[in-house]
Amino acid sequence: MQQEASNIASTLLEYIARPLRALQEWLSPYLPGDEWAAYLAFAVYVLVILAGGFGAILSRNLIRAMLGLVLTFLGVAGMFLLLASPFLAFMQLLIYVGAVCVLIFFAVMLTQNTDGGEESRLPSLASLGYGALAFLAPLAVAGPLIVMYAGRVPVETPQPEGTGLLGAGLLSSYVLPFELISIILLVAMAGAVYLAFRGFNPKRGGQNQ
Amino acid sequence: MELSKISVLSLVELVVACLLVIALMVANAIVMVYAERKGAGFIQRRPGPYEVGPWGILQPVADSMKLLAKQLFVPANVDFLLYFLAPVLAFLPVLLLFLPIPFGPYLTALKVPDGVVLILAFAGFGLLANLLAGYSSNNKYGILGAGRAVAQGVAYEIPMILALLAVVFQTGSMNLSDIAEAQGSAPWRWNFLCQPLAFFIYLVTLVAETNRAPFDLPEGESELTAGFHTEYSGMGFALFFLSEYANMLLVSFVCATFFLGGYKGPILDGFWWTFIKAYAVMAFIVWIRWTFPRVRFDQLLNINWKWLLPLSILNLWITAVIIKLV
Repeated sequence: MQQEASNIASTLLEYIARPLRALQEWLSPYLPGDEWAAYLAFAVYVLVILAGGFGAILSRNLIRAMLGLVLTFLGVAGMFLLLASPFLAFMQLLIYVGAVCVLIFFAVMLTQNTDGGEESRLPSLASLGYGALAFLAPLAVAGPLIVMYAGRVPVETPQPEGTGLLGAGLLSSYVLPFELISIILLVAMAGAVYLAFRGFNPKRGGQNQ
Repeated sequence: MELSKISVLSLVELVVACLLVIALMVANAIVMVYAERKGAGFIQRRPGPYEVGPWGILQPVADSMKLLAKQLFVPANVDFLLYFLAPVLAFLPVLLLFLPIPFGPYLTALKVPDGVVLILAFAGFGLLANLLAGYSSNNKYGILGAGRAVAQGVAYEIPMILALLAVVFQTGSMNLSDIAEAQGSAPWRWNFLCQPLAFFIYLVTLVAETNRAPFDLPEGESELTAGFHTEYSGMGFALFFLSEYANMLLVSFVCATFFLGGYKGPILDGFWWTFIKAYAVMAFIVWIRWTFPRVRFDQLLNINWKWLLPLSILNLWITAVIIKLV
């Protein structure tokens, strides 16, 4: 009975899919190839990342700046998808958008801030210059490397790897850096708790001094 | 190596899937508005809606007509961009979240290897939308609601992920189809029996993550009028409303897939079982909304950090030990 139902379903699907396949055949010479699509996706993601970054540094409102940061994270997640590692892309969104940005929002709400960002001024010429230098610094390192190794490193199409490989790597060959990072996070958390509880006095109703 | 062309078939598939998901979301909102009001009436011993149509069955239609016809009112001094972005940001990611759900053995829009991570990652955008709505509407209740939404959303996300992770450990896959497939047809072979603690933790966090009573602190109407969506009227409010019900449906489908056997049933496996189970979970959510009083905010956070989080870590540890031993 079940087998029969699934047979009927697949026959029906076949009837829908047949004209679409014909359409694919007919459009085939005009359709872009995967490589072209990858270039297009790369360009879109680069634009998203840059737009987010500029939004983050140019907006005078902290929440809008945070939104620019979210846009950048989305673009970076797209880059991970383009490199055939969906797991990293989703983790990027889960951790940076779902936790880090939300905590930034929390911090902004807990501090006194005026809505329009009136206190912020346009940066001086000197700091603009430093900013430009900082922007060009990665280029100064990466540029020669790219020129030196262009075409020499074989570029293969990335294949989707299971998360199992990632987990095995983190717990075997890279176990020491992995654990060290968690120790750093633990230290940061302990420090935050210490700072928050420094003036804590349980006798006075748990009020901070 | 020959480079492949963009497949028209898969593009059409994706578009059709998105349209079906939108249809499901709207239909679900309409059905659930009626069911929720009738259910509330039943629990509180009153008739519920009965004026519009037979048994008040056209009440959701009247409600949605009212929302569509309402004037969009924008209060003074709002952050315009964020104010209009927030409802859209609440609505759009939900569309994506339904794609990896295996409704039936063949009825899966997108077979993603890391479907669970996709759902958890894009669920964060809903929280972000609530925050932006509360912040941008220049209203003290809105800001208070947004502040509560952050604390609650971030806190309850952790036990929820850990509870789902226990099932992922047990199955050895993050693909939702694999998780549904790994459970048997008989009800005693579903995951809620071998992961009772994870099931319980997931049920609690599911209510908190969808901002429903007794955990509806971000919008508690008797304290904050309507919390983060106080200043939204007409379609802005309708989008929040739609995405809230869609989120409820999503967590119910995830619950059905992870703990209640997915599309497997005692007789004749198929997508109907997924829908029956998901709507059973929805009925449960409605039931406890009208049964329990709202908790206080410190109680809400204490339940999470002092009970659910240690329990979920313990559960994960026990699961790992048992898997290692067996």
